[in-house]
Amino acid sequence: MELQPSILREISDEHNLLPQPARAKYISETDELILEDELQRIKLEGKIDRDKCVTGSVIAIYGAERNDGKFTVEDFCMADLPPQTPRPVLSSDRFVLLASGLGLGSSHADSMLGLQLLIDMVTGQLGDQGEQSGAANISRVLLAGNLLSQSTQDKDASTKPKYLTKKTQAGSVEAIRLLDELLLQLVASLPVDVMPGQYDPTNYTLPQQPLHRCMFPLSSVYPTLQLASNPHIANIDGVRFLGTSGQNVLDIQKYSSMESHLEILEETLRLRHLAPTAPDTLGCFPFYQKDPFILEECPHVYFSGNATTFESKLVKGPDGQEVLLVTIPEFSSTQTACLVNLRTLECEPVSFSAFSANDDEESEMNISH
Amino acid sequence: MDELYLDNIDEFVNDHDKIVTYKWLSLTLGVHVNTAKQMLYHYLDHKRKESSAQLHATYLVSGKFEDNGQTGHKVSVVKEDQLEDFKSKMSLVVSVHVYSVQKALLKDSGPLYSVDYDAVKDNLKNCTKFSAIRCASAVPMSSLELQQARQIHQVPAPEPEHKKPAMNGEANASKPSTKPQKGIMGMFASKAAPKNQDNVKDIKTEQKEDTPVAEAPKSKPAAKANPMMNFFGTQTAKKPDKTEKKEEAAQSSSSAEVQRQSSQPEEKREAPAVQPPKDTKKEARSKSKRVVDSDSEEEKMEKKKRRRIKKPEPDSSDEDVIPDSPQQMKTRELSPSPEKEVEPVSHSPSQGNSQKTRKRRRVLKARTFVDDEGCIVTEKCYESESYSETEDDVQATKQASKDPVPAKRPASHKPDEKKSQKKTSANANKGSKQASIMGFFQKK
Repeated sequence: MELQPSILREISDEHNLLPQPARAKYISETDELILEDELQRIKLEGKIDRDKCVTGSVIAIYGAERNDGKFTVEDFCMADLPPQTPRPVLSSDRFVLLASGLGLGSSHADSMLGLQLLIDMVTGQLGDQGEQSGAANISRVLLAGNLLSQSTQDKDASTKPKYLTKKTQAGSVEAIRLLDELLLQLVASLPVDVMPGQYDPTNYTLPQQPLHRCMFPLSSVYPTLQLASNPHIANIDGVRFLGTSGQNVLDIQKYSSMESHLEILEETLRLRHLAPTAPDTLGCFPFYQKDPFILEECPHVYFSGNATTFESKLVKGPDGQEVLLVTIPEFSSTQTACLVNLRTLECEPVSFSAFSANDDEESEMNISH
Repeated sequence: MDELYLDNIDEFVNDHDKIVTYKWLSLTLGVHVNTAKQMLYHYLDHKRKESSAQLHATYLVSGKFEDNGQTGHKVSVVKEDQLEDFKSKMSLVVSVHVYSVQKALLKDSGPLYSVDYDAVKDNLKNCTKFSAIRCASAVPMSSLELQQARQIHQVPAPEPEHKKPAMNGEANASKPSTKPQKGIMGMFASKAAPKNQDNVKDIKTEQKEDTPVAEAPKSKPAAKANPMMNFFGTQTAKKPDKTEKKEEAAQSSSSAEVQRQSSQPEEKREAPAVQPPKDTKKEARSKSKRVVDSDSEEEKMEKKKRRRIKKPEPDSSDEDVIPDSPQQMKTRELSPSPEKEVEPVSHSPSQGNSQKTRKRRRVLKARTFVDDEGCIVTEKCYESESYSETEDDVQATKQASKDPVPAKRPASHKPDEKKSQKKTSANANKGSKQASIMGFFQKK
């Protein structure tokens, strides 16, 4: 791919001293699709959509090689869904709340009341008795990454000299303290799984290690707090959850023409690989013997966090597998979380809102028309 | 009783001009959240009937709504005038209740959040006490369970345990009391000296008081311990942190002492040359007098000791310390293993009530070796070595002045230890300023 950032190109190109601008999409017309195995590579053409394929996909192709050395594809297939153990039949409704992108520590704290409303609802303080009894059926909360906002990632700390930054506290310190207090309210009421995300204080490469318990002195005392890695597998009441904080999906979105997170999620499921672009464009630990991102067993709920909108879909596999795909929206911008019903495998968005001064002005404008 | 709450709310809203949210009310009055909501509703009703004051209320509306064929659940806080509007937009209204009552009309929902935040912050421990949902498994683990949970993750756990009985009897006069400040101010070592002395004096006066005051210094090292966490940075540091937190919760001097002692061995293991800051607590027991003069010397020694450990730290701290540092670096390369010798001049921590413990300390020694050119070179250098308290005591008494100080074992009376301590510290004083005349008679 021509536009893919390449360090070699930057070094070898003496005239071009400007760094490549950060782009939203790195696809271009001159990209080529190449199939390779241990022995050779061959260019592909034909009934295969070049822009939808990403580096690292394992596929099987059917076609013929032409004289000019290119392979014409007539059909192709992927590994498709892995085998799945059937999920247990639950007698009553049980819910799991999925949320991501809390964005704590950001400069504009508009979403804080929404977050407080979320916590109040889950811990049973909000709403009247009917709602509270509904909320009592929520058996777990799963926070899928980006608990801290991007603004806590202080670039200045690395560029500014030490004597200027010695006394200043990192932005993430206050944010983590806030997160600890929020988690304390949650863990006193129900089990919580916390996954790290792109902007959280843990390692950058996948798989990200769980956030360290020393950062949560108040809430780590409770056994209900589970600090999980990214990606994360959870078995909640017999229902298998598998998901990431969204870095794999975002990366595929950048390097292919697919826009919808849900579409990408389904693609990775059918490829049977969580993060095909790792380690090419997505940072990951250099595994060499075994690839842990290959899906061995099919989950019942497959999610990815930090999407732009909420989307969900039930996918049926060739062997009778049933998977609920969920893209969890970013809470800091959408004020929406997802509620998954474990009995029926349905997902519902839960949104929170408050009023602000701007609302009055907007309604006045409508009236004037 | 039933009427009291109306007056209470009245007071909060009108007199204190507060925004009374249901959560704030429930935490302040100690009632269940549903009761608080009802109270607010009754109050609002009451006041509206009286039509006395101008009150505004915000409501919480939650229900189902349709969005592109997808039913979603919506929870919002709305102003009173928008209430009906919101209700009509929803396909099914699940619950409506009063969220807050206040005198002024709120333009923005920001203050609602800050009110709740403050209320929760003040009651962090029991923020869910008045909620409608209980979780049986959400019980904070005791410190024992926490340690067990941590040991599953950790590997080098067993060492602190067997060091415990040995370390119990440590006490230290001025050395450990200066440690807490040093840990933090290691970077600013030059400024640290006068500050440390002041702090040392403060801590000493504190510690001379009785156990009721033991709580106050206890919280101090707890606060200091937290910056120290960064300093030590390894897993075992968590244990003292956790035990410190538990101390604050327990708030009884006896249990605190026990926990303090248990936290000490971990610190000890980490930095044997650097005395743990928790030793300050021992002062409650040892009422020995501190000699102020000796502090400065001992501080310098401490700095030297710390320098050895803090090699990867920035150079500023190294330069601030004593000038014979380059010499020390060289000798360190030449002699990788410290020699274990008993030396008379001891300017390291003198113990108060310690038992026979082996510790490491820095000692000025003369090393003789053959260098590249085949010449015999004698260099004075600081080396760390282990010693035990008994030897120190004996040596101290040997060097004592004409006063016939009986060579008592450490487990004996405090006054005697005080004297010997004084003498050792006095000797330490002499030793560090210049090479003692007794150096000529040192054992090689």
